[in-house]
Amino acid sequence: MADLVRMAAIGKRYGGVQACHEVDFVLGAGEVHALLGENGAGKSTLMKILSGDITEYAGSIAINGTPVRFSGPTDAQAAGIAMIHQELDLVPGLSVADNIFLGRELRTTVRTVDRRRMEREARELLDRSGVGLDPRRPVGELRVGEQQLVTIAKAISLDARVLIMDEPTSALTSSEVERLFDVIRELRNSGVGIVYISHRMEEIAKVADRATVLRNGKIVTSFDPRKLSTAEVVEAMVGRPVQTMFTTPDSDTGDELLRVENLKLKARRPRPGRRDPDGISLTVRSGEIVGLAGLLGAGRTELLETLYGVAPGGIRTGRILLQGRPIRPRGPRQVLAQGIGFVPEDRRASGLVLFHSILANTVVSSLPSYGRLGVIARRMERTASVRMADRLRLKFGRLQDEVGTLSGGNQQKVVFGRMLLTEPKLLLLDEPTRGVDVGAKAEIYRLLGELAAQGLGVLLASSELPELVGVCDRVVVLRDGRDVASFSTADSGEGDLLAAAMGHGEMFDEVGGV
Amino acid sequence: MTDVQDKVVTTDKMSVAATLFRFQSVFGLIAVFVAAIIFSPRKNGAILFVSADNLANVVRAVSEIGIIAVGMTFVILIGGIDLSVGAVLGLAAVGSAVLMVENDWGFLPSVVLVLAIGLVFGALQGVATAMIGIQSFIVTLAGLQIARGLARIWSGGQGVAIAYGDGPKEAPTSFALLGERTFGGLVPIPVIIFAVVAIAAVVFLRVSAFSRHLYAVGGNEKAARLSGVPVVRVKIAVFAICGLLASLAGIVHAVQLNQGSPNDGIGYELDAIAAVVIGGTSLAGGRGSVAGTVAGALLLGVLNNILALNNIDSNIQLLIKGLVIVAAAALQRLRPTS
Ligand SMILES: Nc1ncnc2c1ncn2[C@@H]1O[C@H](COP(=O)(O)OP(=O)(O)OP(=O)(O)O)[C@@H](O)[C@H]1O
Ligand SMILES: [Mg+2]
Repeated sequence: MADLVRMAAIGKRYGGVQACHEVDFVLGAGEVHALLGENGAGKSTLMKILSGDITEYAGSIAINGTPVRFSGPTDAQAAGIAMIHQELDLVPGLSVADNIFLGRELRTTVRTVDRRRMEREARELLDRSGVGLDPRRPVGELRVGEQQLVTIAKAISLDARVLIMDEPTSALTSSEVERLFDVIRELRNSGVGIVYISHRMEEIAKVADRATVLRNGKIVTSFDPRKLSTAEVVEAMVGRPVQTMFTTPDSDTGDELLRVENLKLKARRPRPGRRDPDGISLTVRSGEIVGLAGLLGAGRTELLETLYGVAPGGIRTGRILLQGRPIRPRGPRQVLAQGIGFVPEDRRASGLVLFHSILANTVVSSLPSYGRLGVIARRMERTASVRMADRLRLKFGRLQDEVGTLSGGNQQKVVFGRMLLTEPKLLLLDEPTRGVDVGAKAEIYRLLGELAAQGLGVLLASSELPELVGVCDRVVVLRDGRDVASFSTADSGEGDLLAAAMGHGEMFDEVGGV
Repeated sequence: MTDVQDKVVTTDKMSVAATLFRFQSVFGLIAVFVAAIIFSPRKNGAILFVSADNLANVVRAVSEIGIIAVGMTFVILIGGIDLSVGAVLGLAAVGSAVLMVENDWGFLPSVVLVLAIGLVFGALQGVATAMIGIQSFIVTLAGLQIARGLARIWSGGQGVAIAYGDGPKEAPTSFALLGERTFGGLVPIPVIIFAVVAIAAVVFLRVSAFSRHLYAVGGNEKAARLSGVPVVRVKIAVFAICGLLASLAGIVHAVQLNQGSPNDGIGYELDAIAAVVIGGTSLAGGRGSVAGTVAGALLLGVLNNILALNNIDSNIQLLIKGLVIVAAAALQRLRPTS
C-alpha cells in the first residue's frame, strides 16, 4: 500500500533561518502521527508546506503515490488535506456557523444562503466535539479555547483524508481534550491520516501511534510514543536531558498581597457566553503562585480581566485589596502603575503588534523608564530588551525583526517579558505557556519560581492540569463564575482539581502527569 | 562554510529590498525629478524646471499641503483619518484676515488665537473618536462641515482681502513678511516653515516615547491598551496636532494669497492623504514615516509643476496624478513582509 502522504527532502529557508532541512516525513492512512519539537523547530512550516500555505519550498510531496505540488490551500483542500492552524484563522465578525462554512456556504434551492441548515449542521459538528456553543455567536466574542473548538469543527466538516492539527488543544482543558481524542480515534478508524502537533507531552502517548521529533528544521528521531518515557522524548526534542520540569514550589510565602472578597460583576450589557465573576473570593500572598483552574467558560479569564480593569462596564460589588488597601481597577494604565501586570491569553490579538519589532513590543509597557522628559534613550531600552531576551532565552535573529516572524512560543515570551520589565508586584497570567515548548516552559516555570522567591505574587489561569499542580502552591477552582474549591498542591492532585472543576465527586485517575 | 556565505548574501538581499521599499517615495521622487528634467521645456538652452526660481516655486506651492500632510501622517499612523484639514485651513485663513484687518488685532495675538482654534478643534475631534468611539472618518466629515460653516459665519460669507499698513483695516506689515523670501531672495518663508515642521516631526517621531505609543495604537489598539498605553490621550493629542498644523497652513495660505476666504483649502485633505499614501504610510495604521510623506508631497509638487510647465491640460493632469497614487499604493502591496 502506498503511503497516504510522503514528503521527501523538504527544505524551506526564511532569510538566515533554515526552518526545514532535508525533512522526510511519511503519514499512513489511519495513523495518528505526532510531530514534536521545540518552538521554532519547523513543525508548522513543514505542515504549512503540506497544506499548501507555503508554495515555495525544496523537495517533493506525494499523496497516495502521486506527486503533487499545490498552488495554494484551496488546491490542497481539493486533494483532501485540511489543516487546523496554530494561530487561529477565523473571521471575528462572522458567526460560528458562518465561519465553519466560509467559502462553501450551504444554499437553498433558490441559491440563497441556507442559514437554518448551516446553523443546524454547525450545531451537530460542535456537539460531536462535545461543546454546546451557540452557532450564531460571533467568533470574535469567543475565548481562545472556544475558537479552537470551532476550527476543529470546521476542519472535521471538510471530510479530509489528511487532517493536520497544529496545537489544537493549547487552550483546552482536559475534559475537552478527552472529547477531541474520541473524535480523533473515530477519524483514525475511518482511515483518515492525522498529524498531531502539541507541546503537551502527556497527550502524545495517549493519542499518537507514531511520533517524529524535529530539531532546528531536521528530523532527529521517530518512535512509538508508547514505548518511550516522557523524559526520553523531551531529551530528544531539546537535545539534552531536562532535569526537572517543575521547580518544587517553596512554601515560603510572605504577607498578603491580593485579597478578593466576594467579587461580582454585573455587566451593563451582558454578553452570551461571558462568565463574569459571580462571587469570587481568594487571596494571593507575596511569593505565592496561585493557580486558577476550571473548565472552558468557568470565568478564569473574566476574573483576571476584572482585576486588570478591562472587563466590560457594569456594576462591581465586593472588594479588591492590594496590600491591604482597597483598589478599583479602572484600566491597564492605572492598574499597572499599582504594580499589577497582565499577560492576556491571545497573544496575537491582544498582546502584540505583529509587524513591529521585537524591541518595540518588548519595551512598550515600560517606556518611561528609558530616558527623561519623554525622550527615549535608545541605548537603555536596547539594553533592557536584550537583557530580557537573554533571561527568557528568546530565540531570535535581531531585535529589529518583526515579532510576527518568531515562533509561537517565542512570541509568548515577548509578551511575558514586556510585563516583567514593568517590575510588577503581582502578575496576572492567562495561559502564559500556551504554545510554549517543554524546554521553554521549564524556563518560564523556573523564572516564575525565581520571581516568586523575590516576593512576586502570581495568579495563574491555566487549562493544563499538570502545570497547575506542578507550578502552583495553591489552586483555586472556578465554576460558573464562583470559586468552588481551593487545594494546596502539596496534598492534592490533578484528579481532585478536575472533579471540582466538573462539579462531580468522581475521580478521573486516568489523567496522567508529566 | 557555504552556509555562512549563504546567510550573508540572503540578509544583504533582504535588506536591499527592505531599504528600497522603506524609501520607496524617495526613489519615486528622484525618478519624477529626473523625468521632469528630461521633459522640461527649455529656453535659450537652459532647462526651465531646474531654474532656481522654478524650484523655489515648486516648494512654495508644496508647503501648505506639506504642512497639512505632516499632521495627516500622525493621524493615519494611529489608523485614523482627518477629512477636516482643508476646512480648518479655510477657517484659519479667514480668522487671520478678519482678526488683523477687521478687528485690527496685532500679528502675534492673531496668530496665537488662530493656532489655538485649530488645536482645540482638532482636540475636540479627537475626544469624539477616542472617548465616544465614533470613527474618525465620520467625526472629521462632520468637522469639515462645521469648520466650513464657522468660516462662512466669521467672514460673512465673503473673502476678506488683506492689505498691509499701519492704518485701520490694514494688517500689520510684520504679517506680510511671512510670505517673503529669504536667503538672498531665494527661499520662500513658507518653505522654511514647512521644513521646520517636517524636521520637528521627524525628530519627534524618532526620539519620543509618545511616538512609540502612537505607533502601537495604530498597530494594534487592543494590545496597546492592555500594555498600558494611554490610548485615549494619544488619540486626542494626535488629532490636536493635526488641527494645529492645518491652522498653521491656513495662516501661510492667507499670507500667500493676501486674503482669507471661507472657500480656501477645498479638497486639500485629499491631496494631503495622497502625499501620505505615496509616502508609504499604511492607511491601516502603525506603519509609515513623516520623511516619506515629505517626499510624497514633493513628488506631487514636482509632478504638478512639470505638467503645468508643459501646458498639459488640467484634466489630463488629474488623470496622471490619479495613476501615480495607484502606482504608489500598488508598490506597497509588494513590500516584503519581513
Ligand atoms: N514568515 C516567516 N518569516 C521569517 N521566518 C519565519 C517565518 N515563519 C517561520 N519562520 C521561522 O522559521 C522557524 C520555524 O518556525 P515554525 O513556525 O515552523 O516553528 P514551530 O516548530 O511551529 O514552532 P512553535 O512550536 O513555536 O509553533 C522559526 O525560526 C521561525 O522564526
Ligand atoms: Mg508552530
